[in-house]
Amino acid sequence: MSDGRKLRVELGRRYRFAASHRLHSPQLSEEENGRVYGKCNNPYGHGHNYVVEVSVSGTVDPATGMIVNLADLDWFVEREVIEAFDHKSLNEDVAAFRNRVPTTEYVCMEIYQRLKHFRLAKLERVRVEETSNNAFEYAGEETHDRMAVQQGRKAK
Amino acid sequence: MVYLTRKIEFSASHLYHNPALSAEENQRIFGKCNNPHGHGHNYTLEVTVAGEPDPVTGMVLDLKELKEILEREIIQRMDHRFLNYEVPELSGQIPTCENMVRVIWNLLEPRITQGTLHKVRLYETPDLFAECYRNGAGSR
Repeated sequence: MSDGRKLRVELGRRYRFAASHRLHSPQLSEEENGRVYGKCNNPYGHGHNYVVEVSVSGTVDPATGMIVNLADLDWFVEREVIEAFDHKSLNEDVAAFRNRVPTTEYVCMEIYQRLKHFRLAKLERVRVEETSNNAFEYAGEETHDRMAVQQGRKAK
Repeated sequence: MVYLTRKIEFSASHLYHNPALSAEENQRIFGKCNNPHGHGHNYTLEVTVAGEPDPVTGMVLDLKELKEILEREIIQRMDHRFLNYEVPELSGQIPTCENMVRVIWNLLEPRITQGTLHKVRLYETPDLFAECYRNGAGSR
């Protein structure tokens, strides 16, 4: 039954990009990198088809029935994320990963940072699927302590 | 607390048009969704109910009962319908995912008598969805 709390509505949209990366930490020895990252440490890198799920919230405009016009959200995500990441080497082509291992945890957080300035709706969270078996979510710093980056991994 | 989710699918047509706006404004805001004869989607609805399992049955609620509620309230009302003209709960509203998810919430919430309705997520396509929950419940 209704408990008097206001209803909240979110809109979720999924985007895709394909990119390569290599997991290698300069703070670790060659052996440690191999042990920690396994195949992901192979020197020439490898790639994934990433899926990015963006969730925003806001008031539903009675005139349009929309939290935000999809064309505006699509344009913003395309400009801020897809153009920068699609068919790129994350290590070489994205400045944020010059000194940071491009794990999907960090990819997820970087995408959140790029999208949080969207003016037309409030960014709630970013979910990144590296493969259909690995997913990561980040909802910003307010919930960082509680939620941090959540990883879901399907049992093989 | 345990969260139980049931998924159903239905197919329906709709169009986006606000009679208070000019034809040009409707076209600019809604684009292809403003085509006068409408278009359709295969919708997927995920309904999440929260509660404690009953010590006797081990169930938050009987899935069979939830299935019947979804059949009666959603499938019979919306499946193979033109949402703008055939679903009175949506009349006067643009049948966007955002509006539909609130209508669906309001149809289901009073019917869930074991556990509480926690979240409703409606996919219009695999890449576009809206979800609805009570303030403070979080989206999960």
